[in-house]
Amino acid sequence: MNDTDETTLEDRTARFERIAASETATLLDGAEAVLDGETDVRVVQSPSPKLVMQRATDPVSGQPFNLGEVLVTTSEVELSDVKGFAMVPGKAERKALAGAVVDAAVAADHPVSRDLRAALADDAANRAERRQRAWAESRATTVDFDVMEDPA
Amino acid sequence: MGYVAVSAGEDVIRRAEDLYEKTRIEGESDTVSVDQVADQFGRLTGQVMGESGLYAPRLAALAIKQAQGDAVEAAFLLRAYRSTLELWGYAEAPSTDALDVERRVSPAFKDVPGGQILGGTKDYTQRLLDFDLDGEDDPVNPIDAWDLDPEHDVDINDEEPGSLAGVVDLLREEELVADPETAAIDDHVEDGPQDTTREPLSHPAPRDAILQELSRGETGAVTALGYSALRGYGQVHPTLAEVRVGSLPLRVKHPYTGETATLPGTDVSECQGVVPAYETRDEARFAFGYGVTFGRNERKAIGMTMLDASIQLDGDAPAEDAEFVLDVVDGLDSFGFIEHLKLPHYVTFQSILDRVRSIQERDTTTDEKVDAELAEVGGDD
Repeated sequence: MNDTDETTLEDRTARFERIAASETATLLDGAEAVLDGETDVRVVQSPSPKLVMQRATDPVSGQPFNLGEVLVTTSEVELSDVKGFAMVPGKAERKALAGAVVDAAVAADHPVSRDLRAALADDAANRAERRQRAWAESRATTVDFDVMEDPA
Repeated sequence: MGYVAVSAGEDVIRRAEDLYEKTRIEGESDTVSVDQVADQFGRLTGQVMGESGLYAPRLAALAIKQAQGDAVEAAFLLRAYRSTLELWGYAEAPSTDALDVERRVSPAFKDVPGGQILGGTKDYTQRLLDFDLDGEDDPVNPIDAWDLDPEHDVDINDEEPGSLAGVVDLLREEELVADPETAAIDDHVEDGPQDTTREPLSHPAPRDAILQELSRGETGAVTALGYSALRGYGQVHPTLAEVRVGSLPLRVKHPYTGETATLPGTDVSECQGVVPAYETRDEARFAFGYGVTFGRNERKAIGMTMLDASIQLDGDAPAEDAEFVLDVVDGLDSFGFIEHLKLPHYVTFQSILDRVRSIQERDTTTDEKVDAELAEVGGDD
């Protein structure tokens, strides 16, 4: 899946991933555009912090185990009888609520949904660029360790 | 004998709390912001998250500020907060290959596939006080001088940024470690690994529970107990297959579609260690230890690796005794028990005094007898 592809955002699961990783400002701006005074949005689940247990796997035995909990904030809304759900990292109530509004607006094909998809795709492109940059920085520290010959 | 409640003036207790708070703000410097702690004390926030068992970088920074830099107190604050929250669900366990790597070194294999990637570290340089940091203003990012071109400077063999094959695959190809298909995994794991935050630990503990407890152990305790094995109180002196730092994806089921979604990951430090086990086992293979913890905390990940390998040997050394290790490794447990000794124990101590005086009044015939009875006078809590 192309992380920066706007068309993938039609898919509910892909959109869920993009919203979770998006910048707070992107989601707040998007939600503000949706809440234009004419669109009726009902909060199904108020944004609230929750825990997700992160699991890891021992690479030799394949044994899964619980590594520790991750703080997330979830929210659910309904817009024109279409539900929207978002889960964002950390304690971030406004971001989660805005994310749920954006999710519902895209699902309901709200008039600004195209702009929302474009904004989410831009965010994803920026993330990919930052990741590429960070990987290049790490790669620039790749080293060959030479075993030193015995001087005798 | 149980605890006895005491009362004191609440106003005085609040004043004591005020004095504690005063020490944080009475200096002439600006107040440290949570953002500054989060941005500039990443190792500390990582340690606190690892020891609390809660991945929440910003709240960890807040807890560190509130605790005035006391890492265990900050971990306590995070654990207290998490206890108020609902568990949304359990994530899927990603394979080790899923780690988005920013640093990977292999002390075991010089020519490891993908290369030795040092990442950000001072492991190979002198550690001396940098007096220039005192009074630093307008710092310069040293990376700016690198003249990197991310589009072209990355290895074209990397399918994805941060994607590296694990060293354990090399050992598996040589049949030097057990194959996952034949490895002994506890039966109960088919129903999901034990969650020790919700199901009390009992002994003998399954390995998944041991790994969970070690991963949220106190850094100093994990390091010290792992070190004990190196100092001869145990058999494990591992060679580290690899030490990695990166982001582990958080994979959850979308509540509407039921499909697996990958959310922003958790920064972790991970270590895999091999231990020659041919002296204690029939087969000429390596035993294996694994360590992983939240945040940048390689020291703890290595210590956990040693303890995992030691416990699997099930020997007589302290580090090989799962019950001993797990009883002492949790920072919140030890913090609570050690620090509670500061609290009023007047009734307990009065009882001890009464008994000692009683013994003295009996005018016992020999000092040895008194000593023997005194030895029986122990704490009741």
